[in-house]
Amino acid sequence: MSGGIARGRLAEERKSWRKNHPHGFVAKPETLPDGTVNLMVWHCTIPGKTGTDWEGGYFPLTLHFSEDYPSKPPKCKFPANFFHPNVYPSGTVCLSILNEDSGWRPAITVKQILVGIQDLLDQPNPSDPAQTEGYHLFIQDSTEYKRRVRQQAKQYPPLV
Amino acid sequence: MDHHQISEGVDDESEVFSERFLCCVCLDLLYKPIVLSCGHISCFWCVHKSMSGEQQSHCPLCRHPYTHFPTICQMLHCLLLKLYPLAYNRRELQILEQEKEMDLFSPQFDVQAWSSQANQVSNILADSVCEGLCTNMEKTVSNSFIQNHGTVISKPTDCENYEAMENVTDQVKNGLLRQQQSGSSKQISVADVLCAACKELLFRPVALNCGHVYCESCIVNQDEQMLRCQVCQSFHPIGFPKVCLDLCNFLDEHFPKEYALRRDVVQLEHVNLKNRKHVNPTACESKTSEEGEKLSSWSFHRGAGCDYCGMYPIIGDRYQCQDCSERIGFDLCGDCYNTNSKLPGRFNQQHTAEHRFERKCTNIICGPVRLEDDSVTLLMAHISGGLEEYDRSREVPHATFANGEDEDEQDGSEPSSLPSSI
Repeated sequence: MSGGIARGRLAEERKSWRKNHPHGFVAKPETLPDGTVNLMVWHCTIPGKTGTDWEGGYFPLTLHFSEDYPSKPPKCKFPANFFHPNVYPSGTVCLSILNEDSGWRPAITVKQILVGIQDLLDQPNPSDPAQTEGYHLFIQDSTEYKRRVRQQAKQYPPLV
Repeated sequence: MDHHQISEGVDDESEVFSERFLCCVCLDLLYKPIVLSCGHISCFWCVHKSMSGEQQSHCPLCRHPYTHFPTICQMLHCLLLKLYPLAYNRRELQILEQEKEMDLFSPQFDVQAWSSQANQVSNILADSVCEGLCTNMEKTVSNSFIQNHGTVISKPTDCENYEAMENVTDQVKNGLLRQQQSGSSKQISVADVLCAACKELLFRPVALNCGHVYCESCIVNQDEQMLRCQVCQSFHPIGFPKVCLDLCNFLDEHFPKEYALRRDVVQLEHVNLKNRKHVNPTACESKTSEEGEKLSSWSFHRGAGCDYCGMYPIIGDRYQCQDCSERIGFDLCGDCYNTNSKLPGRFNQQHTAEHRFERKCTNIICGPVRLEDDSVTLLMAHISGGLEEYDRSREVPHATFANGEDEDEQDGSEPSSLPSSI
């Protein structure tokens, strides 16, 4: 399996991220207790877009890459029970570009994934629900939905 | 794509390469590039690894479907080697190491032979001083010197009169001589990027499945038949290929005058042949989707590709070589077995015409058995769209892995062509 290109690609992703990345975002590979870097798991932060109910929140997201990356997309996870119509109770993000059989292309970069998820936060896709609570409130009670979103944004203040 | 020649390339001891030659899969400089029928370029191994062994594959950049593994574009390979020798050699060493680890090898080329052929052509070009084309070539050659390597070589950039032109031609000849002597060259000329048919600067280049590159206008589709390469006579199975825009823009940028000249000439020809229109994108779209449907009927050889035409996975009859000892094996599809079987393999196999073949039928019994495979159940879970089911099945990616390996051992054949095992 060692012939896979996952690690090489991730090293290039890391390089490119260091050179330039969108403002307010964080993405870094996991550091193991012994000090070595694990390129297969990245800890990221997605800022809520300004001017939306998500503003002020810095949402932690973990990317899990498999050895088949970039043929297969990484699994993107918010914390469990994250409030959003398109996030499974386990925290996994449901997004077409992250689905191997519909929108994923190996050319999609980590940058594009993170920006794509930031867009998804304020523009949920009601035709592809992944959790009941977020979905029902979004459809039926927009005032309560907005309140929950703003409340969640407060739960995730900037880290620094 | 970025318009700057020097944009976000990666440093290789001060060598910076254009972002348009960045592979979209490994994000490094393209190595042994393959041009897909949609015109997007990727590395040999990146294409192979992102292909599916059990259904039609999709372009890593645009998801355009395709069913045949194309051959490396040798012209681009040599071009990149000339443009960025340091970075390209670094890539070569890097890939070779990986290949040794995998015990799978990509095809080797005789770059020397290719470039001496190109040099011959450029000598002829240099001799024909009277042609305006030549002057332009010199200019861009001198420009490219400065652009690519930061070393400024004093050459007149403007040659209005013949005297200056001859002067330049001599210098270019000397340059070529030097280049032949040193064996490696940092300058590229029009001779490196010629059409396989008209032998002029490529205009709106398209690559066929065999890796040969033509001007879009030089490919003539004879009465709805499959395209056939004029150089190697192999069929292009995927419909009419799209223009390779990255190469197209590179040529336009590198040889602006020659390219403009070619544009005029081709457009003039086009007006003359206005009624002969060959591009028929809808036809090829429908064809590929048809292929996709065919695959779902299980009449394919999972993970086995034809070493002649590149069909992957092989649909219909499959002939497996009994004498090739390479790990990847050697296979032909039914059509290629009946027509051509004397070419070396796509992974540097030492296949010869004397080797014996065994016919492998598509085993329909295999269908349901293989359904048990995790990767397929995973696929099914996706399709059925069960929310949590999907989530859980994603949580065990390693099961697919282990399963793939087991099967390899049982089969004893072609482990390498399984996407999960690479």
